[in-house]
Amino acid sequence: MSHPSLTAQPKATIPFYRDTRMIALISQVIFVLLLVLVIAFFYNNVREGLRANGRTFSWNFLRQTAGFAIAEGPTFLPSDTYARAFFTGAVNTLRVAVVGIVLATILGLLIGIARLSTNWLLRTLAGVYIEIIRNTPALVQLFFWYFAVILTLPDIRDAATVGDLAIISNRGVELTWPLITEAGWGLSWWLWGALVAAILAGYGQQQWRLRQGKLGGGFGTGLLTFLLVALIGFGVTWVTAQLPEQITYELRRGDRGTLYVDVNGNGQFDNGIDRPMRHVPVTLLTEDGTELATTRTDNNGGFVFFELGEERGTSLTWREPAPVVISQPELQGFNIRGGLSISPEYAGILLGLVLYTAAFIAEIVRAGINAVNNGQWEASRALGLSTGETLRMIVLPQALRVAIPPLTSQYLNLTKNSSLALAVGYPDLFSISQTILNQSGAELQVFLMLMATYLSFSLITSAFTNWYNRRVALVER
Amino acid sequence: MAQAELDTRTWVNRNPPQPGRKAPPSEVGVVGWLRANLFSSLGNTLLTLLTAVALYYLVSNLLRWGAQAAWEPVWANRKLMAVGGYPAERLMQPMVVLMLLSLLFGLSAGRWGELMRNLAIGLGVIFAVWMVIPAGSWVQTRMGICLALLVLGALVGSRVAIADRLLTLAWVIFIPIALIMLHGGVTLLGIEWYPWGAGVPSNLYGGLLLTSLLTVLGITLSFPIGVALALGRRSELPAIKYFCIAYIELIRGVPLISLLFMAMVVLPLFLPAGMTNPAGVTRAVVAITLFSAAYLAETVRGGLQAVPRGQYEAADAVGLGGWQKLRLIVLPQALRAVIPAIVGQFIGLFKDTSLVALVGLSDFLNVSRSILVQPAWSQIPGGITHEVYLSVAAVYLIFSFGMSWASRRLETRLGVGQR
Repeated sequence: MSHPSLTAQPKATIPFYRDTRMIALISQVIFVLLLVLVIAFFYNNVREGLRANGRTFSWNFLRQTAGFAIAEGPTFLPSDTYARAFFTGAVNTLRVAVVGIVLATILGLLIGIARLSTNWLLRTLAGVYIEIIRNTPALVQLFFWYFAVILTLPDIRDAATVGDLAIISNRGVELTWPLITEAGWGLSWWLWGALVAAILAGYGQQQWRLRQGKLGGGFGTGLLTFLLVALIGFGVTWVTAQLPEQITYELRRGDRGTLYVDVNGNGQFDNGIDRPMRHVPVTLLTEDGTELATTRTDNNGGFVFFELGEERGTSLTWREPAPVVISQPELQGFNIRGGLSISPEYAGILLGLVLYTAAFIAEIVRAGINAVNNGQWEASRALGLSTGETLRMIVLPQALRVAIPPLTSQYLNLTKNSSLALAVGYPDLFSISQTILNQSGAELQVFLMLMATYLSFSLITSAFTNWYNRRVALVER
Repeated sequence: MAQAELDTRTWVNRNPPQPGRKAPPSEVGVVGWLRANLFSSLGNTLLTLLTAVALYYLVSNLLRWGAQAAWEPVWANRKLMAVGGYPAERLMQPMVVLMLLSLLFGLSAGRWGELMRNLAIGLGVIFAVWMVIPAGSWVQTRMGICLALLVLGALVGSRVAIADRLLTLAWVIFIPIALIMLHGGVTLLGIEWYPWGAGVPSNLYGGLLLTSLLTVLGITLSFPIGVALALGRRSELPAIKYFCIAYIELIRGVPLISLLFMAMVVLPLFLPAGMTNPAGVTRAVVAITLFSAAYLAETVRGGLQAVPRGQYEAADAVGLGGWQKLRLIVLPQALRAVIPAIVGQFIGLFKDTSLVALVGLSDFLNVSRSILVQPAWSQIPGGITHEVYLSVAAVYLIFSFGMSWASRRLETRLGVGQR
């Protein structure tokens, strides 16, 4: 009926091998097949290899006893499992990463600003620093700081002191540091609460200002809230804190021992079960009740009386401490007691990574500030904003938009570079994994866990970057 | 109207331009520069003085230390730091490689200029320095020959129009030739060719030689993989695209040291049962290549994104096929745009190869560390850790800074970042 030209045209006969859709499909199928073949080849090799050595691929080794000690991080005993050792390593890596990121950002910001200074000397000096650091391997720098600087520091007997603030020797750095004592364990909950309250208050303030059409964020309000809640918490803890009833102590050789809460009631200190009493002032008494000496228990409830001479004590009394004590390190014999102790390994890896990453961050800061068009400064001045306001409200928000993606990539680099801790013997995720691998022989499993952990660090970071980028990105039509 | 009056009257300038007054002496010359850059305000002056005092203490202490430091161990071990355990009687082989390299660099510098010329100048300075300082007549004459070849190459390259393709081919075949020269022969298709006696096993390579070898092999081998991954990531075929994304993100998410350890510890597991375990250097090259390819892919992807859409459309319009479009239109533009970034990555890899020291290869860092435990220097008071590590850092610094200087000059010329 219809017109001949409107009826179906004879189908153009395109052979299937020239049809782009078919080519796309076939090439993908071939690619996947090849991939499967390669994986199957390796899988088979691994299976054969393991069988030839009489081993199997299993995760049971994670429950075995590790049998080695870890000097740093959360308390870890040789009787703990491999799984816990791995976890301790991850915590140690984060200890380096988080502190390193904060310090590197501060230093990098300072150097980046110095690099932009109008002062020629300062600018050039910052430039020289950046070039030297960026053009030498991180590992060489790490070796230098650890072996050539930290380990050649003076012996502990002639350690350098920075006022009352720090003792520096080849055994690391001891800082004067506020420590939460046994009476103040409730305070840490208050501090977390303060943090949450501060974030809520700051966010609320920001939103409120936004609705009012005013400029500025809620940082000040947040900080104030934090300080207020922390202060109330301190007061409350101070007034209400009480030491528990069932405190006992072990006294050995008349001058040392442990103060603890006997949780299982067996009259002796069981590490991991009984709770050690931290930073409690203790006084040693003789049989007739005269006071011999006073000291304070350490982080593990232990105490040693050094200045006793020949005398020995037979009993112990203790007082309730303040929730927080400022603990000052002091030399006792060949040991340093009190304060916050930073091991030479931790100091080495931190120093190396912070100085290294700061140079890269400085360049990012410089590029970020340079990226803001000069017209923005001029326009802002023309509106009558002061230099501070211009920086805070005009330049920095725009500079941040440019700087955030490379900055997070530097943070990630720092986290990955913390695996160089292996070189200085700091027990991070990577070096503990090496120990686990050597002892258990479960190479494949350990490497899978290691890769997965590092990968999750980086995926979390890049997820955060993407979220932030979307938030600050220019909205264009 | 004033406008009309102005039009009708002859305008006479009653204030002819006076000869310009000279700028006050405090604003120009040395004094002016000092005022502008160091003493512009009270705060600035204070800052200058503080920095100057700090700098004085730093530099004077460093110089005082440098003058009395024990540099003898480093100087005495210069052969070790250069080539590691490479047999002394076979040193001519790496030297020939260096001479070939000089010639090629010279030719490329003369032909292509730009980056190659800058790099060749740097190389020439190093040769000249080693020709002059008394490091032994053998080394000095060889360095002289290298320098002569470099200059000769540059002269020939700038006068004779060698085809780009020929020169590129020369670079490509240079690498296998260099490997054969270093090994001192080759076994190919059952034919054994070892003109200077038994081959030198790769575990004897060391020092700067091994570091350079790992860097050059790493970047060269990873280049095709990186380009393929970059193209794959932009592919419209989901299977290929997601494989490439997964590979790139996986490798970039883990530290290089974990890949190196994996190559050392786990790689043997993946090989068929009968296969002998490859040498440590080979395994390190595999790890470095796989690592570098992921980063190179991201660099090249940046270049691909910089090629305007119109170029693709124009290529389609003139009827080029997919492969031709890629080879003739897209890749040349994309790769040219990322040359500085690739040089940057080369420098990064040069520094990163120091990590092989942690898996026991005797690269530059590791052989230098071995100086620390040589019994001959155990009597030196205070040890020699400072001297050795600073020397190592200085060598890395010279090479990396030289390369980044060459690349930065190129960037200024190309105007990258200014357009």
